[in-house]
Amino acid sequence: MKFEWFVASRYLRSRRKQSFISIISIISIGGVALGVATIILVIAVLDGVEHGLKDRFLSNEAHVALSIFDHSFFKGYQERIERIEAIENVVAASPVIFAQIGVFREHSNTIQDAIYIKGIDTAQEDEVTGFSTFVIGSTDFQNSELIEQAALINEGETITGGIILGGRLATRLGVMKGDVLRLLIKLVESPIDSSMLLPDLANFVVIGFYESEMEAYDNNFGFIHIDTAQKLYNQQNRVNFIFVRLTDAELAPQLATKIEAAADFTVLEGMPNARTWMEAQAALFSALQLEKIATVIIEALIILVASFNIASTLIMTVMEKTKDVGTLRTLGSSRGNIMRIFMIQGSVIGTLGTMIGTALGLSLCWLLRTNTQRPSYWYIIALVVPIVLQFLIASQHAMRNRGGWKFAVGVLWLIGIGFALYCAVRPISLVDLGLSQIYQMHQLPIKINWVFVIFINLLSFAICWLATLYPAWQAANLKPVEALQHE
Amino acid sequence: MSNPSETLIRIIDLHKSYYDGESELPVLQGIDLEIKTSELLAVVGASGVGKSTLLHIMGTLDRPTAGQVIYGEQDVFTLQDTELARFRNKEVGFVFQFHHLLPEFNALENVAMAALITTPSNKTIYEEAASLLEYVGLAERLSHYPSQLSGGERQRVAIARALINKPKVVLADEPTGNLDRRNSEAVHELLWDFNAKSGQTFVIVTHNSELAEQVDRVVQLVDGKVVL
Repeated sequence: MKFEWFVASRYLRSRRKQSFISIISIISIGGVALGVATIILVIAVLDGVEHGLKDRFLSNEAHVALSIFDHSFFKGYQERIERIEAIENVVAASPVIFAQIGVFREHSNTIQDAIYIKGIDTAQEDEVTGFSTFVIGSTDFQNSELIEQAALINEGETITGGIILGGRLATRLGVMKGDVLRLLIKLVESPIDSSMLLPDLANFVVIGFYESEMEAYDNNFGFIHIDTAQKLYNQQNRVNFIFVRLTDAELAPQLATKIEAAADFTVLEGMPNARTWMEAQAALFSALQLEKIATVIIEALIILVASFNIASTLIMTVMEKTKDVGTLRTLGSSRGNIMRIFMIQGSVIGTLGTMIGTALGLSLCWLLRTNTQRPSYWYIIALVVPIVLQFLIASQHAMRNRGGWKFAVGVLWLIGIGFALYCAVRPISLVDLGLSQIYQMHQLPIKINWVFVIFINLLSFAICWLATLYPAWQAANLKPVEALQHE
Repeated sequence: MSNPSETLIRIIDLHKSYYDGESELPVLQGIDLEIKTSELLAVVGASGVGKSTLLHIMGTLDRPTAGQVIYGEQDVFTLQDTELARFRNKEVGFVFQFHHLLPEFNALENVAMAALITTPSNKTIYEEAASLLEYVGLAERLSHYPSQLSGGERQRVAIARALINKPKVVLADEPTGNLDRRNSEAVHELLWDFNAKSGQTFVIVTHNSELAEQVDRVVQLVDGKVVL
């Protein structure tokens, strides 16, 4: 291979005659580099968003929600929880009554809103969703001062208990701490006429606000004590959900079946349904997944286009070197020798392009993630210097023929571009873009997936290598006599 | 060194036709020729008679339509591409009308190239190449590129290159066809010199009558056949 390297490396530099070819080589390298850099960067952003969203979701979301298919109530939940908690990799489980109800403002007769209500055991719920850490105010549903005060103010009304409202929901309803909310739990038969249904209303005092910064919760949820919920629904010692936390959220699909088995529902109770957080958020995460796949395909096409660059560069080189190929054949190079000479050229372009692209992509990721003070505007000077020198070289014949100048300017270009990137690329603030509200990410998240970076490197090498095959084969199959006579 | 009277190359009933669509253009029509070791042979003939074609086939650059070329005991056209390339590398040296030097490589590298194909780069190869260039009078031009050399100098580099692997035969196709008189004479001198010094066989295709007068034997081609 030494001989092939010797010839190929000289052809890549191509300092004689047509320096045009080596500029083409640079463009080919740049094409591959840009493709690889953008794919690494874009996937890092998409991974970052996905990771950030998962983090947000899982901060207050149970990993698995166990219920009977029709969400009917079941008894013996504490024994079931004990069995579920005995499963390996299960951290904790919490009994929940989960329902949708109507809300009335104090002394009002019209339903103002429909909200989700969770009846929970605070201690057990804390283990699963970290409930208390998100609450501003009291978490004591039964014995709050606010309840006593409200009971005094609203004399004659029965206060069922305290309620913790999602922060945004509270704002929407216009309620403050200590205000009374009327909840429409269910309809009951009228004692006078059994064909008539009357609303069963209960009064709750707002004792705190739930601020998880997750839109879905803060805007739609209310929390009451599990005992209260059981009384309201006439379901003593029953619940309709068990929420489970695992050591690792990614284990949810594997553990879901074990949890269903541990729940051990009888045929009469109904079919178990352990719903993972992934299923619950399937719409969002499959959209992200789809987006990622589409991006990989589009970006791979960029590399493919760059590989066409390599192929055309090589085809041009082969055309330009046809006579030399003839000469090399007369000197005793085999077809294999010739093929390898051109494949080495293409592979060097592909390898350099991929390496530069990886370095560029990772640098951009780092710049987008690292929030430090960087010098601004100085990069203009760093760019002006090589531009001026480039003009000088183009206009001054004496300078043009000095390889040293060209090399120096090339280095200055690299430094200038690198410095400009360093100055200009900063973390992108989602707050400024007005996108931080919903999922509370303050800057564009970046997460580098090293396995993917390696995969893209291999893919890029493979595509570039394939692109060399045809031109190299073409060169190897030139007929020596015809090649010698080629002008 | 082999016995001077020994036959080095035997060409038996060699035919070569070119095809243009349906029509056949016969060029060589039954060449029989024996070339002895250390012989200095000139091939002459009118333009287009097939001198170069004969030389290319002798040098294994082209395949005949029919017939054999036998070096010693070896029928060279039974060899596979890789073996043929190896054979060409070791046993045959070429000099063309146009120098065919590689423009990206300097004189020394051009001469060393044929040796580098089969042998990893080493000092001996470059020393050998340098001494050959010295011998052809280019000791001061080792690191010059073809574009920095004159026509005569380029052709002398080409001759040095043909000899680097000490081939049994050097095939020269109009080696002085592109040179002025003074340079032509210098190139001729070199060829005779190498023939006398190392006993290599030289087959020279030429139009140059002066050159033809100075060789051991002249073979004339007429209508694709050898006329004695």
